[in-house]
Amino acid sequence: MKNILIASILTIGLVASAKVVTIQLPVETGTYKQGDGVTLANAQCLTCHSADYASMQPPKPRDFWSAEVGKMKAKYAANIPDDQTNALVAYFAKNYGTDTGTTTTVHFDSTILDPQVIATKMGCLQCHNTDKKIIGPAYKDVALKYSKDPNAMDRVREQIVNGGSGKWGTVPMPPYGHALLTQEQIDALAKWVLSQKVQ
Amino acid sequence: MPNSSDSSAHSRRAFLRKTAIAAAGLTATPLLAETIKMPFANGDRDLVRYPQKRPMIRLTTRPPQLETPFAVFNEGVITPNDAFFVRYHLAGIPTSIDTDTFRVDIKGTVNNPLSLSLADLKKFDAKEVVAVLQCSGNSRGFVMPRVGGGQSGNGAMGNAKWKGVPLKTILAKAGLKADSKQVTFNGLDKPVVEKTPDFAKALDIDHATDGEVMIAYEMNGKELPVLNGFPVRLIVPGYYGTYWVKHVNDITVINDTLNNFWMNPAYRIPDNETASCDPGTAPKATVPINRYNVRSFLTSLQDGAQVKAGQTINLKGIAFDGGIGIREVVVSSNNGAWTQAKLGKDLGKYSFREWHAKWTPARPGNYTLRVRATNNSGQMQTEKPLWNPSGYMHNTIETTQIAVV
Repeated sequence: MKNILIASILTIGLVASAKVVTIQLPVETGTYKQGDGVTLANAQCLTCHSADYASMQPPKPRDFWSAEVGKMKAKYAANIPDDQTNALVAYFAKNYGTDTGTTTTVHFDSTILDPQVIATKMGCLQCHNTDKKIIGPAYKDVALKYSKDPNAMDRVREQIVNGGSGKWGTVPMPPYGHALLTQEQIDALAKWVLSQKVQ
Repeated sequence: MPNSSDSSAHSRRAFLRKTAIAAAGLTATPLLAETIKMPFANGDRDLVRYPQKRPMIRLTTRPPQLETPFAVFNEGVITPNDAFFVRYHLAGIPTSIDTDTFRVDIKGTVNNPLSLSLADLKKFDAKEVVAVLQCSGNSRGFVMPRVGGGQSGNGAMGNAKWKGVPLKTILAKAGLKADSKQVTFNGLDKPVVEKTPDFAKALDIDHATDGEVMIAYEMNGKELPVLNGFPVRLIVPGYYGTYWVKHVNDITVINDTLNNFWMNPAYRIPDNETASCDPGTAPKATVPINRYNVRSFLTSLQDGAQVKAGQTINLKGIAFDGGIGIREVVVSSNNGAWTQAKLGKDLGKYSFREWHAKWTPARPGNYTLRVRATNNSGQMQTEKPLWNPSGYMHNTIETTQIAVV
């Protein structure tokens, strides 16, 4: 969290040669408000847009947020698992809307230990691919970067738990924390990321 | 989540913002700490500097949606490039553009598909037009009851002199096949997730070949800022910004009607004279959003301004519509009689039209100034705001609160 926000020092750049015009966008600063379900909101929604898409909306009841999440899935092809939809709606209705009702407690099945299944369901693979950069770096590039680092596992685990600082681009990775994933699941993810081989 | 967590999150953000500002002092790039509060719920906005832009009101960070601070509209009827609003839909925006390899492809139901470089485009006879670009959702924050979407104040609009090639010229060179029905436009920007519908729009063939729609490579005598569509964007005078496709590089003529997400169901308005329906209801039928309705603004005084009693104040503002042209602008004080404003120089039927009026408030007190424009077809701004589910085309009579002391 801290790292992400400190990184809000804006880099404003424009580089123009005769042929190529390049701009550098400011590093993104915000994540979603703390609250039950924030890990899911960060994981599923920050892939395509910044958190201010939610925070600028007018105060609205649960129906509004249900329609928004529904639209993201049906119209924008957001790959949000059905079993996370209600929890996401509840999170937004409570933290960005007018819903004062009880919050849905968010669970992630702790028996899932297959890293690819975790990475799919937790939105990791929306920003990362094993072979190519999407928003975040390719896992093989992460593996390469830490290939000679004896603390590689710790570094990747920390990245998953606390998020990133935008060192791979202008969109920092959100923190996954310990609220949803067990240590065993985080270990499995880190190990899998570091096992990706450069072809 | 208890409210206390909310407020601690707020204070943490506030603290970190200050920290970031302190750190930024060590760098060569300025960080603006300024914020602005729009006059509606959840209207706190940062003023942020983006490449090629002065500090702008940030609605969203990624993809960027930046609103023009309203005071800019009092600088003149032309909106400077560095203050022109920015609105993207999808976060895969181009940040590095090679003008040597950039091409605009014209294909589909044409006899001679073309692939035009920037240099090729500049060889055609150029045309210039001064035209307003306004977002469909400009002023959405003022729509009551509130609706979802980009929560703009009145700054998602701008007026610029565009220079480029009429699309008609290019389509004539490509040679339209007889069954051509629409022309579709796609730009360099892309979705993040592959399956998200790419942003593309369409115009009917008659509209696309009317000689007014054009591909612009200059904005106010300069290259377009990257965030406004560099190196070329589509200009559709009088039509809402959704059609002004940025970084346009794919022009495909089709013998069909484009029915993607961005044409249907997005950017639709109720199919009736006023593009409105009862608040909270869904329209029976919809059509693609099209021409601007008529609007006018007071720019020389903003809400909360103080002026002295007994003195004559020169009021100034702007008016525009979808291309029929402004016939009249009237102003009124505290719901008194409408008085005629004097219209300024005519830069063309698609441009902002400046207006001037004199106002002498006799006594101290709170005053409400109203401004109303009528176009050459007799269409005028409405007393009562019109409503539609997407919060498009807001054009009620604007009011400004002035303290006379």
